[in-house]
Amino acid sequence: MIKLKDIRLGAAAGFNLLIDSLDVGEGEIFAVIGPNGAGKTTLLNLLALLSDAGEGSMEMLDRNAFYGANKMFLRRAMSVVFSQPYLINDTVYKNVALPLKLRGVHDYGCVAEMLELFKIAALKDRNASRLSQGERHRVSLARAFVTRPKLVLLDEPFSSLDARIKSSITRDLRRVIKAAGAAAVLATQDQAEALTLCDRMAVIINGRIIQQGAAQDIFARPVSKEVADFVGVETIIGGKITGKSENLCSVKVGDKVLEVIAEYNAGDSVFVCVRPEDVAVSKSAEAGSMRNHFKAKIISIEPWRLEYKLSLDCGFNLISAVTKQSVESLGLKAGAEVFASFKATAAHLIKR
Amino acid sequence: MDFILSGLQKGLALIFTGNAEVYAIAELSLLVSLFATGVAVLIGVPLGSFIAVKKFPLKKLAISIINTGMGLPPVVAGLFVMLFLSRNGPLGFLEWLYTPGGMIIAQIIIALPIITALSVSAMQSVDPNFYRQILTLGASERQAVWVCLKEIRLTVTAAVIAGFGRLISEVGAVMIVGGNIRHQTRVLTTATVLETQMGNFDTAIALGLILLMLSFVINLALTFLQQQRAGAK
Repeated sequence: MIKLKDIRLGAAAGFNLLIDSLDVGEGEIFAVIGPNGAGKTTLLNLLALLSDAGEGSMEMLDRNAFYGANKMFLRRAMSVVFSQPYLINDTVYKNVALPLKLRGVHDYGCVAEMLELFKIAALKDRNASRLSQGERHRVSLARAFVTRPKLVLLDEPFSSLDARIKSSITRDLRRVIKAAGAAAVLATQDQAEALTLCDRMAVIINGRIIQQGAAQDIFARPVSKEVADFVGVETIIGGKITGKSENLCSVKVGDKVLEVIAEYNAGDSVFVCVRPEDVAVSKSAEAGSMRNHFKAKIISIEPWRLEYKLSLDCGFNLISAVTKQSVESLGLKAGAEVFASFKATAAHLIKR
Repeated sequence: MDFILSGLQKGLALIFTGNAEVYAIAELSLLVSLFATGVAVLIGVPLGSFIAVKKFPLKKLAISIINTGMGLPPVVAGLFVMLFLSRNGPLGFLEWLYTPGGMIIAQIIIALPIITALSVSAMQSVDPNFYRQILTLGASERQAVWVCLKEIRLTVTAAVIAGFGRLISEVGAVMIVGGNIRHQTRVLTTATVLETQMGNFDTAIALGLILLMLSFVINLALTFLQQQRAGAK
C-alpha cells in the first residue's frame, strides 16, 4: 500500500526528513509517534503529496507517488484529517458531500450513511460554524470516509478534544477504518491514542524513524535512549555489564549490581531502562521472586496520571508508580525508607 | 446660496421629468462602468487568487507592482489607452478611440489592479491549511481556489464594490479616451465637468445627483448581497 525507501527531504520542505524504509500494508493502521517538532507532520505532508518530492522512492497503491501524473489519482484515493477540522461555511451535509462534488460524483447516497456512522445525522442541516469542536471533528471524519478511501492519513486528529470525546471518537474510528479495509497512518504524540488505534507504530525523532514495529515491542524494548525517554521509561541509567550467565546479565550501576535478561556481552556499556509501573515498593525486606531488590529512600512523591510517582534513591535513581491505596496503606512520604524491586525481565538494556 | 438651491430644484426637475439626454448619459455611464467592473472581476479575482496561493519567483515583486497599480492615476491610464488606440497606435486598427469600447478598456485598466490586489489580500487571509485540506479532499488547484473564494465571498464582494466605486466616479480616463462626445461617449462625470464649465449649474447638479444615486443604489445592492451572506454565517 505505502512503501518509502531512502527518503531524503531537505530543508526546502521546511524540515529535514530521513527515512530509510517504511512500509504500511493494506488494512493496517500504522501510527507515527514522536515529540513535538520531530517530523510527524512533515512525513504526513509528504504522504499527502502536499510537499515537494524529495530524494528516494515513494510508492503508494503500486504507483510512483513522486511522478506528477499520479498525483491526482493518489489524492483521490486517499483522505487526510488534520488536527483542526477545516470545514466550509455551509451545512454539515454539504461539508460531508464536498469530496464527492469535487470528484463530479452525483450519487450522494453514502453521505447519509457516513452521517449515521459518525452520529451526526441529526445535525445534517446545521451550518458547520455552529457546531461544537467534537461535532466538527466528527464531520471532518465523515467527510474523510465518504469517498471510501484506500488510504487515510490522520495528523494528530484529536489533539484539541477532551478525553471523553476523544475516547468515543477513537473507538468509532478504529471500527470504521477496519470495516472500510483502508490503510491508515496516524501521526500523534499521544501514546494512548496510538495504542488504542494502531496495529504497528514507528517512533520518529529529529526527522528520523528510530524504531518501528509492534507497539508492545517498542514500549517494552526501545532501541535508543531517546525512544525510551519518549515512550515513558522514567528510569534510564548508565551501567556496565560485568558478568553474564546464559541470558542473565549482571550490570554494575554505581556500587550496585542489577540483574537483567539481555543479549549483550560482559564488558558492554549499556543504559538500563525500567518502566515506573514495573517497580514494586514495599516495606518488606523479602525480595520474593524479584531478582532486583534494593533498600531505598523516597526522595519525592507526586501525583502522576491516576497514580503517584515516587522518586527513589537506591544508590541510583529509580522511579516507581504506585496507587493511591499503596501510598496510604504503606504510609509513603518523602524521606521514608522502603524496599524497591523489579524483575530481571522487566528491565531492558540499550547499548551505549 | 440661491443659485445652489435653484440648481438643486432644476436638477430634481430634470430627473423627475425624465429628460431623455440626461437619462441616456446615465445609462451609458452605468453600462461602461458595470461592463468594465465585470471584466476586471473575471480577470482580477482568479488572477489575484492564483498569485496568492502559487509559489513562484519574484512573487513579492509582482504583488508590489499590482499594489502600485491601485494608485494608478486615471489620466495616465487614459493617456496610454488613447495612444494605443489612436490611428497610428498599435491598436489603431480597432478604431475604438472615442467609443464606449475604448472607455471600457481604460476603465478595466484602472479597476484591474484594485480588484486583483484586493483578491490577493483576501485569498492570503485564508488559512493555508484550509487550502491544503481542500486539495486533500480531491480538489484540483482550480477547484480548491474556487472553494476558498466562496469562503471569502464577503471580502471579494468588498473588492467589487471598491472597483465599481472607483470607475463610476472616474473622469480623467473616460474624458481622454471617450472625448466627451454628445450622444456618443458623454458620461455623467464628463458631462458634469462640461456643464459646470459652461455655467449650467442646474444640469450639472442634476447629473451629479444622478451619479450619486446610481452609485448609492449599486453599492446598496452589493452591500445588501454581502450582508445577507454574512447573516447566513
